[in-house]
Amino acid sequence: MITPILLRLTQRHIDRRLFQSLLFIIGIALGVAVGVAIDLANASSLRAFKLSVTSITGRTTHQIVGTSGVPSNIYRQIRIDLGLQTSAPVIESTVRGLSVNGRTLRLLGVDPLAEAPFRDYLPAGTWTIDPAQASALYSFIAEPNRVFIAQALADEFGLAPGDTLTLQTPTQSRVDVTIVGLIQPDDELSQQALSDLVLADIATAQEIAGQPGLLTRIDLILPDGYDTRRIEAILPPDLRLTTPSANSGALSQMIDAFALNLRALSLLALLVGVFLIYNTVTFSVVQRRSTIGILRALGTTRRQIFTMILAEAMTLGIVGTILGLGLGILLGRSIVGLVAQTINDLYFRVDVQSVAIEPGTMLRGVAIGLIASFVAAIIPSYEATRTPPVGVLRRSDVEQRTRQALPFVSAGAVVLILAGVVVLQIQTRSLTVSFTSLFLVLVGCALLTPLTLIAGMALVGPVTDRLFGVLGRMAPRAVARSLSRTAFAVAALTLAVSVIVGVSVMIRSFRVTVTNWLATTLGADVYISSPSEGAAGIEVIIDPALASRLADVEGVAQVATMHDLTVITPDYPDLPPANLIVPSMDISHGQRRFAWLDAPTGDYWQALESGVVMVSEPFAYRRHISRDRNTVTLLTDRGPETFTIGGVYYDYTTDQGAIMMAHAVYAQYFDDSSLTAIGLVLEPGVAPETIIEHVRDTIPGMEGLQIQSNRALRANVLKIFDRTFAITIALRLLAIIVAFIGILSALMALQLEHTRQYGIMRANGMTPRQLRVFTFIQTGLMGSTAGILAAPTGLALALILIKVINVRSFGWTITLNLTPQEFIQAFAVALAAALAGGIYPAWRLSRLAAVQALRSE
Amino acid sequence: MAKTNGAPSPVIVEIRDLSKSYTPGCEDCAILDRVSLDIHEGDFVILLGVSGSGKSTLLNLISGLDQPTSGAVNIDGTDITGLNEYQRTVFRRDRIGIVFQFFNLIPTLTVLENVTLPLELRGDSRKRAEQQARVLLERVGLADRANDFPDKLSGGEQQRIAIARALIHQPALVLADEPTGNLDEDTGSRVLTLLLELTRQSGRTLLMATHNPEIVPLADRVYRIQDGRLVPVVESPRSVHPENQ
Repeated sequence: MITPILLRLTQRHIDRRLFQSLLFIIGIALGVAVGVAIDLANASSLRAFKLSVTSITGRTTHQIVGTSGVPSNIYRQIRIDLGLQTSAPVIESTVRGLSVNGRTLRLLGVDPLAEAPFRDYLPAGTWTIDPAQASALYSFIAEPNRVFIAQALADEFGLAPGDTLTLQTPTQSRVDVTIVGLIQPDDELSQQALSDLVLADIATAQEIAGQPGLLTRIDLILPDGYDTRRIEAILPPDLRLTTPSANSGALSQMIDAFALNLRALSLLALLVGVFLIYNTVTFSVVQRRSTIGILRALGTTRRQIFTMILAEAMTLGIVGTILGLGLGILLGRSIVGLVAQTINDLYFRVDVQSVAIEPGTMLRGVAIGLIASFVAAIIPSYEATRTPPVGVLRRSDVEQRTRQALPFVSAGAVVLILAGVVVLQIQTRSLTVSFTSLFLVLVGCALLTPLTLIAGMALVGPVTDRLFGVLGRMAPRAVARSLSRTAFAVAALTLAVSVIVGVSVMIRSFRVTVTNWLATTLGADVYISSPSEGAAGIEVIIDPALASRLADVEGVAQVATMHDLTVITPDYPDLPPANLIVPSMDISHGQRRFAWLDAPTGDYWQALESGVVMVSEPFAYRRHISRDRNTVTLLTDRGPETFTIGGVYYDYTTDQGAIMMAHAVYAQYFDDSSLTAIGLVLEPGVAPETIIEHVRDTIPGMEGLQIQSNRALRANVLKIFDRTFAITIALRLLAIIVAFIGILSALMALQLEHTRQYGIMRANGMTPRQLRVFTFIQTGLMGSTAGILAAPTGLALALILIKVINVRSFGWTITLNLTPQEFIQAFAVALAAALAGGIYPAWRLSRLAAVQALRSE
Repeated sequence: MAKTNGAPSPVIVEIRDLSKSYTPGCEDCAILDRVSLDIHEGDFVILLGVSGSGKSTLLNLISGLDQPTSGAVNIDGTDITGLNEYQRTVFRRDRIGIVFQFFNLIPTLTVLENVTLPLELRGDSRKRAEQQARVLLERVGLADRANDFPDKLSGGEQQRIAIARALIHQPALVLADEPTGNLDEDTGSRVLTLLLELTRQSGRTLLMATHNPEIVPLADRVYRIQDGRLVPVVESPRSVHPENQ
C-alpha cells in the first residue's frame, strides 16, 4: 500500500520538475490527440455519408433499381396493378449550381404526393398546415422548373423563394429553375445532410438529368411478411428488387481500409510516444535514485516504490490523456477537411461541416492514453524497485544490468522480427494481422538498437578520436556506457525516422507506379470529360454526336470514346455496383499491363472485342477472381448476363475496381449510348494546345466540359494522389517531434547521472565550450545511429506497406521504387532532430558550476 | 557491557560465521571472513577499521540491506539472513534505525516529514507521527526548524535530524555508519554526544562504524576489522590509543 507521505513525495517531485512532467504530458497528449483526431475525422466523414444516404433513403425498406434506370411505367404497375400505395418514384443526379459558385448539388426528383410516408422533411408533410408552403407546393407540382432548396444553401448564398438558380445539367445544358420554397429540417444534423439538396418534381428532374421516361429507382415501404415475389414477377430482367442498406453499408465498408491505414499511422505516433514516456519516467527515476535508495534503506518496500512511481506516471498520464482528448478534438476539426477531401476524391461525395464528438472515440482515446502510460511506465517503475538501498548503491549497477540484458534483448529482437515475418506469411486478408506483423518487425528492429549502438560506437571511436581528440574519444564511450538511457532515445528516433523512410518510399513507389501506369494507359493527346476531379464529381452525359464532330477536326487522327457507368452484379449483393468502363478502342496502343491475361493471341483488345471482359486488380481482389474463377454476371438491359474474364489489368483509378468491356460488346447488352469521356489522338506534329483552343471555340456541345491535354490530365491525377497522402506528412512530422523530445529527455537524464563526472572534467580544465562540443558529438552519434538503423527498418516497413498492406487494403500492385533521396533525407532528419535535442542540455552543461557538480553524488 | 542487576543483558544481535565476497567463487577476495559477534541489549559497540576494511559491509549485512555470502545474522530472535527481501525491508523498517555518514535526508520532505517518515511508511497516522516527531525534534534542539527543507540546514543540523529519524520508531538496534565523518570536529562531537545520550537514555543498542578514536572510550566494546576478521580491541576501551587505529 502506498502511504500518504509517498504520495506527498510524488506530488513534490512533480511540482519541482514541471518541465519534465510537461514532457511526459506532451508525449501522451500528442499520441492520444493524433489517435482521437483521426478517429473523429474518420467517424465524422462516415457519419456524414451515412446521414446523407439515410436522409434520402428515409423509411424506405426496398428499392427497385436497374443499371440504366427504371422505366416510369413500372411505377404505374407497382402502384396500380399491385396496389402498393407506399411507393415513391425517385430521380437522383448531381448537377452543378452555376449561380452558387459552381457548387456540386444533389438533384432529387420526387412525387410530392407519394412522399409523405418516406421522407419527413419534404414539404408534402407540412402543406396542409402552412398556407405559404401549400401554395409553393402547388407551384412545384403545376409549373415546370420549380425547385425547393435547402435552407442552409439559401442562407449561404442569400437566396429566397422567387429567386432563380442556374444549374448545369449532366448533358451540359444550362437550366434556370425558380426556387419556390425552402427545406427546413428540424435538427441540425439533417440540415447538414441536406445542405446540398435541390428538390424537383419528377418531370423537372427527368428533364434536368437528361433521362426522359426514366426513374433512378422506386422506393418502397413493404409491410412485414410481404411476399416480394409478387413484385419480382412483374419486373423485367434488367431490374432488381433490393434493400437500401446493402448499398450504403458496402460503400462505407470500402473506406474501412483507408480509415484503418490512417489509424495504424496514428498508432505509430503513439508507439514513438510510448518510448518518450519510458524515457521521461526513467529520467524521473534516475533523478530520484538517492531518494529511492534512502527510502529503501528506511524500510520502504519495493511494492511501495513501484506503486509510487507508477502512480506518478498514471497521474501525469491522466492529465496528458485529458489534454490529448481536447487537442484531438481541435486537431480532428482541422484534419476532417483533409480526410473528407480524400474520401471525396476516392470514394463518394461527402460534405462534412463539423466534427461529431462520439463517446466511443473519447473512450478509446482514454484507453489508449492510460494503457500507453502504464506500459511505458512499468519498466522504469520496476527498475526503481531494483534501486539498492543507500549504502549499497553502486552507480554502475543499472548499466551492468543493461549490459547483461543485451543478449536477451537482441535475441528478443530477432524473435520479434521472425515472428513478424511468420505472421506475414499467414494467408489472410485481415489488415489487423498485417499491421500486427508490421508492429512486430518495427519493435524488433527498435530492440536491435542497443547492440547497434555498442557496435557502432566501437567502430566510430577511432574516427571521432582523430577528428575531435580526447572529446571524440570520450563521447562514443559515454554513449555506449549509458545504454539504458541512450538506447531508448535512439530507438524512439529510429522508429520515428523509419516511419518517415517507410511511408516516403511507399508513397514514392506508389506515385512512380501510378505515373508509369498513366504513361502507358493514357495514350490520347487530348481528353474531354467532366470538369470535376475525383469520385465526387457531377455526372456528365456526352452526346455521341460530339465524337463524330471531333473526328472531323483537322489534326485529329483518331477519336476514342469511353462510357463509364455502374452495373449491378447480382453475384455480389454485399458489394456496391461495379464500375463498367467501356472504351471504343485501345487507347493504350497495346501497352496496358496485366497481372494475368488469357488471350489466345496475346492481344487483349482482340479478346475484349470477342466478348470477354477484363477486370482491374482491385475488382479481382475484392471478388476473389482468379484464372479458375473467371466469370462475372452483370445486370444488363437484357437481364443478367455472365461474362468470361479474360484477364486482370493493373489499374489505379479506384480501389473499388472496374470491369472493362469493349464498346462493340457493350452495345449488344446495353441501350445507353451516351459517353462520359472522349480522347483525341492527334496527327504527328500537331500541338495539343492548338486543337484544344480550336475545339473549345468552334465545336458545339463543348459547354461545361473540360478539355485538357494529356499532360494536364496526368498532373490532375497526381494532384489528387498527393492530396490523398497529405495527411501522412502531418503524421510523420508529429512522430519526429515526439522523437526529438525523447532525445532531449534522454540527454537530460544522462547529464544528471554524470554531473559529477562533468564537474571533474571542468575541474581538470575542460572549458564550457568543450563540454558543449562533447554533448553535440554524443547527440550527433546518437542521431547518426538512428539515421543509419532507420534505413533497413524503414525499408522493411515500406516493403510490408507495399507488398502486403496495400495489397490487402486495396488490391493494388505497387512496384518498389528506391532512390537514395529518402534515405539521405531521413538521415538528415535524424541527425538534425538529435542535434536540436542536444541544444538545451549543452547550454545547461556549459553553465554547470564545477564546484557544485563535484559535490553531486 | 550493559548489565541489569549484575547479570549480563540478553544478546540482541548474534552474528555467526558471516562472510561476504563481491567476487563469486573467490574465497580470498572475501571482504568479511567468517565473522562472529554477539551484541547485548543496550550496548554501545564500536567498529574500527581502515577505509575499505568492511565496516560498512558488516553494517549493511546486519541491517539486511545486503545479503551475506554465508553465515547468519540473528537480531532479537529473528534470523534476518533467512528472510526474503520484503521481510527484511519490513524488519528494517520496524526494528532498525540507521544514521548515515551523508545524512541522507530526503530533500523534498520537510524536517518534520523526514522524521515522521519511518512511522508513516509503516502506516501510522500522520498526526500521531508528527506528535512523536515534534518531541524528538525538541530533544535534538531543532523544533523551530520543523517546516524547513533540509537544504536550509547545516551539516550538523542535518545529522541531528537524521538521528531523530533513526530513533522515532523506537528501534531495537541503531546502526551508525561514520555519523561524524562528514562533520567538523566540534559539530561531530556534539552530534555524537546527542546520539549517545538519546540511545543510552532509551536503552537502545548502538553499533557504530567509525574512524574516530576519540569515541572509543565511550563504548562498551570495541572491535577492529582487519583482513576480513573481527578482532576485539580491548576489554577496556579506555586503553585504546589513537596510534592503534
